[in-house]
Amino acid sequence: MKVLATYNIKGGVGKTATAVNLAYEAAIRGHRVLVWDLDPQGAATFYFRIRPKVKGGGKALVSGRRVLDEIIKASDYENLDVVPADFSMRNLDLLLEGSKKPLATLRRLLKSVAHEYDLVFLDCPPSISLASESVFRAADALLVPVIPTTLSIRTFEQLDRFVEENPEVVEELDVIGFFSMVDRRKRLHRELLVDLRQVRPDLLDAVIPAITDIERMGVHRQPVAAFAPGTRSARAYSALWTEINERL
Amino acid sequence: MSEVHRFVVTGAGDPSAVLAGLAERAGLRVVSSTVVERTFLDTADGRLDAAGIVLELRRPLEGGASPTLVWVEAERLVATAPLDAPTAPRFASDLPPWPGAPHLASLMEMRALVPGPVTRSRLTTLAALDREEKTTARVVVDASALPDGTELPVLLEVHQLRGYQREAEKLEKLLVARLALEPTTTTAAANARRLAGAPAFLRSKLRLSLDPTAVAADAWRDVLRELTAAMTANFAGTLADTDSEFLHDFRVAVRRTRSVLQEGKGVLPPGARAHFRAGFKWLGDITTPQRDADVHLLDLPGLVQLLPADRVDALEPLHELLVERQRACHEQLVGDLRSWRRARLGQEWAAFLDGDGPWPPDSLDGDGGHPDGPPGADAPDASRPAIVVAAARIRKAHRRLVRDGRAIHAGSPATALHDLRKDAKRLRYLLECFGSLFPTGDVSVAVKPLKALQDTLGTFQDTEVQAHALEGFGDELVQRGAGAPTLLALGAVIEHVSARGAAARRQYAERFGAFDSRAVRGAYERLSDDAEAAT
Ligand SMILES: Nc1ncnc2c1ncn2[C@@H]1O[C@H](COP(=O)(O)OP(=O)(O)O)[C@@H](O)[C@H]1O
Ligand SMILES: [Mg+2]
Repeated sequence: MKVLATYNIKGGVGKTATAVNLAYEAAIRGHRVLVWDLDPQGAATFYFRIRPKVKGGGKALVSGRRVLDEIIKASDYENLDVVPADFSMRNLDLLLEGSKKPLATLRRLLKSVAHEYDLVFLDCPPSISLASESVFRAADALLVPVIPTTLSIRTFEQLDRFVEENPEVVEELDVIGFFSMVDRRKRLHRELLVDLRQVRPDLLDAVIPAITDIERMGVHRQPVAAFAPGTRSARAYSALWTEINERL
Repeated sequence: MSEVHRFVVTGAGDPSAVLAGLAERAGLRVVSSTVVERTFLDTADGRLDAAGIVLELRRPLEGGASPTLVWVEAERLVATAPLDAPTAPRFASDLPPWPGAPHLASLMEMRALVPGPVTRSRLTTLAALDREEKTTARVVVDASALPDGTELPVLLEVHQLRGYQREAEKLEKLLVARLALEPTTTTAAANARRLAGAPAFLRSKLRLSLDPTAVAADAWRDVLRELTAAMTANFAGTLADTDSEFLHDFRVAVRRTRSVLQEGKGVLPPGARAHFRAGFKWLGDITTPQRDADVHLLDLPGLVQLLPADRVDALEPLHELLVERQRACHEQLVGDLRSWRRARLGQEWAAFLDGDGPWPPDSLDGDGGHPDGPPGADAPDASRPAIVVAAARIRKAHRRLVRDGRAIHAGSPATALHDLRKDAKRLRYLLECFGSLFPTGDVSVAVKPLKALQDTLGTFQDTEVQAHALEGFGDELVQRGAGAPTLLALGAVIEHVSARGAAARRQYAERFGAFDSRAVRGAYERLSDDAEAAT
């Protein structure tokens, strides 16, 4: 089982869109996939039309009284299940602080379902915190969507610094960055794509353009490839998944 | 976990119409309804079926979408893949890049997928939705018919979704109350096979249950008939070269037949026995070149894996050479199998197995064989109990193997081990063909260590033959102008192969020791006691 976390310190960069669409893409290719909505905002849960409620709350889950197995919900798609967000899990950090081994908690919970899934996507809230550190420890790779702005290079610098300063937390974590919400009509985007690639040659070739179809996921409450198969947006996520899958 | 409950719709009428009527009340919505032509795929020996897997090709009959390959296991849709090529995958290497494909490949091994029955199916999926329009349960209705119009039982499945068990239970109750449903475990694939009268899956194990009180002549013929059935079942696939296993199993049946004829001394009429021993020796011999070529090709991927990745390409010329040879050998074999001589052997053999009287009858002039008199005249064991005769032959073969095996020491020449392999084969065939006369427990204790010993002897001889053959290919590749990298890679492979043979040689003492243990010898002795007790 591989654990992939969509991560960025900033909100609104396409983390959730990435988790939901890549999970769907991987599932239709035959992977057994679990999406864990760690963001109390519950955007991923909303896209899958699941009511955001964990019986007994996230607290019971973290403290180990409830097992992940009882909370998982099937999505509308084969091979694709979801751990819905919990509004009561407002502050995952506080919950984790209360647990005995905060950093190992997510990892331990995931282990309990490792035989059932090939892939887990953790859809993370923004920020670096105790919750993020748990994610770094549980994940095999971070998927980092980057909107081409002059500041986005700082996202990587911050991540790199964290990885350098916390070798014991991060162990072997692959940081996989790619451009998100790219608007090729904007000259600045075109220029930054070239410049940023020079600084970070490890950025993926696949790019997710800014497309209204992707915005409309909120209307359809479905992955793009489910309501708009074969379109440019569906193809973009398919190509992104192909590249990530090869890298894993 | 999510479960699927399957039912046969027993009432008349279209269940989809009834379901449409229920839609409002049950909160059901039709999410898809397509008509597809389905072709069920499996290996000729039904390996996927045995593992509870259904693999099918679905061609949409409306809308012109491309065909899809669908893998269903334990009622769960495991994976689907659109097919670019118009034809179904044949070998494991043709499967889509599914994460689970290696599992299918390990089941299939060298076997090809062959198209089984075809149906025209309307597949309707209905979803139970909650207030968020989220699916909480699914109903799948499968109304299929064979191409000739024969209708399969209509199947209805209720799919529970994880985390929504209660919703599925409620829905199922409602459906059971409204429709005439009967729980079932059979699949559409199984129904299609049954109604289409599809041939049973091939099996390489003999499924004999001989009557211990039968006379030897009858038991011998029963075994020979079963072996003939195996040859017949594998004949077409051998001619078409569908996969290498057809020829393999055909040859096994021929070898077993030869062995039963050999052990038929005193049981079968001597003239016929001599005539057919010669006939089946010839039949076995003509199949050997292609089998050797098949084995080289089957072994190649394993050999290539022994090489470092950067030298793998260097063996491509060897691969081409092997493919060419295999094709040539196959053409030759097809000619031989279609020859007049083969046809005549088949006819004579069928007449022999059918006839009670002397063979050959006057009309048939057996080449070299003397016409036999009435049954029993030259066959003193023919009317003795089969179990007694078989036990005596097994005892003799066992004694011989023990005697020769004990004589082997670290310095024995390779040929001594090759001869011992023949002894072992002889005993094994006897146990396989006549084992069902005896209590199963004793036979399995006798067979297990024999099998292990045979594996070791087989590896020892096969690696020697393989290394020798590879050297020969090396010479041929030199003549074709192969470069140094190819020859170096070949040299490395030969070294690995020889090392494997040497390891088998070292293993011999231990394997023979296990076979020659007191417990196993006891099991062989018990077979004789069993024979005595039975009469
Ligand atoms: N490639 C894209 N093109 C257009 N809109 C996008 C794209 N990716 C995301 N969006 C929209 O932008 C908003 C933020 O995306 P989201 O995936 O929720 O970001 P995050 O999870 O990083 O906060 C959402 O409304 C989403 O529909
Ligand atoms: Mg989000």
